[in-house]
Amino acid sequence: MSTLLNPNQLILEISAVTEQKAQNKSQKAATSYSEWQTYLNQLVLDTFVDYAQEEQSENVKKAQNMESIGELVNGTVLNVGNARIILIPSEADDLEELRVPQEWIDIPQLAGDYYLAVQINIDDRYLRVWGYTTHQQLKTDGNYSVSDRCYTLDGIDIIGDISALWVARELCPDEVTKAEITPLTEITSQQADNLIKRLGNKENLLPRLAVPFTIWAALLSNDAWRNDLIAQRCDKATFSVLKWLQAEASNIISEIGWRQVEFQPSTVGARGNNATATSKTALAKQLTIAGQSYELKLIPVEEDTYGFELRSLVLGGMIPAGFTLRLLTETREGFEGNEDTATTATESLYLEVALDAGEGLIWEIEPTPEDYQAQVLYF
Amino acid sequence: MRPRQDIVEIFSTFIQFDLDRFSNWASDPRLRRSMNQCLKESPQEIAENFWGIYWHKKWSKNPKGLAREHLIAYLQEVCFWSTNKTITGFTSSQYNVPDCFQVAITGIDKVLKGFDGDRGYHLKSYATITFSNLIRELLRQRQEIDICSEWSLLRKLSQKRLIESLQNAGLSPDTVAQYVLAWSSFKTLYVPNRQSSTRKLNKPDEFTWKAIANWYNQERITQLNPPGEAVSTTILEQWLLSCVKAARSYLYPNVTSINQPKPGYESGEIVDSLVGDVEESLLNQMIVEEEVEQRNQQQNQIGDVLIQAIAKLPADERKLLELYYAQKLKQAAIAKALNTKQYNISRQLTRVKKSLLKSLAIWTEETLHISLTSDVIKNTSTIIDEWLEHHYNPNP
Repeated sequence: MSTLLNPNQLILEISAVTEQKAQNKSQKAATSYSEWQTYLNQLVLDTFVDYAQEEQSENVKKAQNMESIGELVNGTVLNVGNARIILIPSEADDLEELRVPQEWIDIPQLAGDYYLAVQINIDDRYLRVWGYTTHQQLKTDGNYSVSDRCYTLDGIDIIGDISALWVARELCPDEVTKAEITPLTEITSQQADNLIKRLGNKENLLPRLAVPFTIWAALLSNDAWRNDLIAQRCDKATFSVLKWLQAEASNIISEIGWRQVEFQPSTVGARGNNATATSKTALAKQLTIAGQSYELKLIPVEEDTYGFELRSLVLGGMIPAGFTLRLLTETREGFEGNEDTATTATESLYLEVALDAGEGLIWEIEPTPEDYQAQVLYF
Repeated sequence: MRPRQDIVEIFSTFIQFDLDRFSNWASDPRLRRSMNQCLKESPQEIAENFWGIYWHKKWSKNPKGLAREHLIAYLQEVCFWSTNKTITGFTSSQYNVPDCFQVAITGIDKVLKGFDGDRGYHLKSYATITFSNLIRELLRQRQEIDICSEWSLLRKLSQKRLIESLQNAGLSPDTVAQYVLAWSSFKTLYVPNRQSSTRKLNKPDEFTWKAIANWYNQERITQLNPPGEAVSTTILEQWLLSCVKAARSYLYPNVTSINQPKPGYESGEIVDSLVGDVEESLLNQMIVEEEVEQRNQQQNQIGDVLIQAIAKLPADERKLLELYYAQKLKQAAIAKALNTKQYNISRQLTRVKKSLLKSLAIWTEETLHISLTSDVIKNTSTIIDEWLEHHYNPNP
């Protein structure tokens, strides 16, 4: 590593453990381009999060649902207290500019408060955080580059002292950091399906530039669609419940944290009217919420009717008051009876829905489980 | 080097080099006239650093005007000494003073943009650190491009640097656009693999070259105006190697140009009529004793706050400041002196800076009644940089 340093810039060592993890993570990427991008994103995210957790008194967390975004876009995100920080990795050895993909600026669900310029030196195994800026400054002082859909800010206009960011967080945590963002146009789930099919083909090397930004932004703003697109590109199976209830699917589903479980229909309680003595197959996923273990079960109740049940995995454990289990349509809309909230500590949360074949659902729990990935379950 | 004494001289002359040594001060007649006129208009004698602040204020109103030239003249010695000190210890024959001096002085805008015109005090101290950082960064970048293969170097360029390098090489805008597209096609399709060094990338294989050419030939239709001809892999290779060459010479500017007129001479667009455009109100307002008094007082207060904050730091952090600012040790030497790992030094320095910044920001809010934002804190940070440099090196 270089023997020269500027006290305003932060130099962070990339540990062997982090490096190995980034390698493993990026192996599943669709193309060599996205593999490299995922690798760099992951190195930067893990190294910076480790540092911030040690140095910051505020709560530092990786953002939910975002770790795989390197498949599609450069950049990665974490939360520090109530601020959202976007890390923009770059291989460039000079400090001429910060180049932020438009997704991180113009999609309200992705936009951040602060943007950090991070230079990576793989051979010498270090990162250099050489400055930061805000959403507002990028919008007002940045230039928009049409060819790669990025906002760029000259190196000379960046705040070069990274400790200024931490002091700002501490002394003026409520300062306005964001410029106004124009609401996105919406697309239908039919359009989304078509886009996912088309852009899911990995021959399409840079899907982010393959369709007009407004359409791309609408697709990406929906966590579940975005994850579906990523899964499709990386040849991961999308979640088809019927298929996965079949015995031969057990390997595929374990890859993304679900497993098949046998159950006696009567255990569903009074709700299982058609109870027979024979056991049936349900799907279960283990979750960690606020440090405790829970299990979400997806239970076929009757033809076209499914139950979602959340229970504690601790013997005699309860669901604490305030927990909510929620189901949303594929386009993230609510519907009648889509929520069950524990008003007092309770044994389980339970929802039951009737669905047409081919319909999709997204499940959510509050508080959000660790490593939660929104995903559309197709029935 | 003969130091300049006379205030007119300080704001209107430039260093001339003879090979790699200082030769003499060359005077710029326009700047001399402008400075003489200012002196005539000013009601009383003004200290050198206040002339610096005055021209900085004028610069912020008109960044392309004569003020910038005066400031370039003013900061010559500082740039010269920063260059000398920073490159000491670099044995390579490639680093000579005039060459680094020239690169540093062209980074003047970084000094001027960073300096806080409202609360700043020692422009020279601020320039010292900024020039040192610029030169260190330059040397680091040179080391990196010297050990990189052509193909690695291409991946280590920012788009902005590439465009500047190509413009610097005198290429037409259409050619620049073609080269940039060729470069981004290369970066999209030729990705390092993690097992090998990112500095030693080999030439792409036949298959990859074809993919790059296909990509370029497809993209040029939508991205270039005019789209130009479809190109072969041979042409692409030539173009990319031209990019490499342009980027290398951008970091090693032609040394023969050292004996050419310095910045300040060459800006022919500054018409002579600008000389003598003394803004009386600003000058008077600046030089009213009150303003001088007020700045002096504020500078003392800032000093008190920071001296107290430093006194409260743990002993090893105080030592760190001393090693870094007063003795200007390099990272490895600091690590050795403090018996710690190199990476810790960067983190510790950031931590120290953060704690000083916090103290001064709180003081700013409470005493000056300025409400804090990222922008105010950024300016406060530059005041600390300036103050630390001046505190540990009072005579730049």
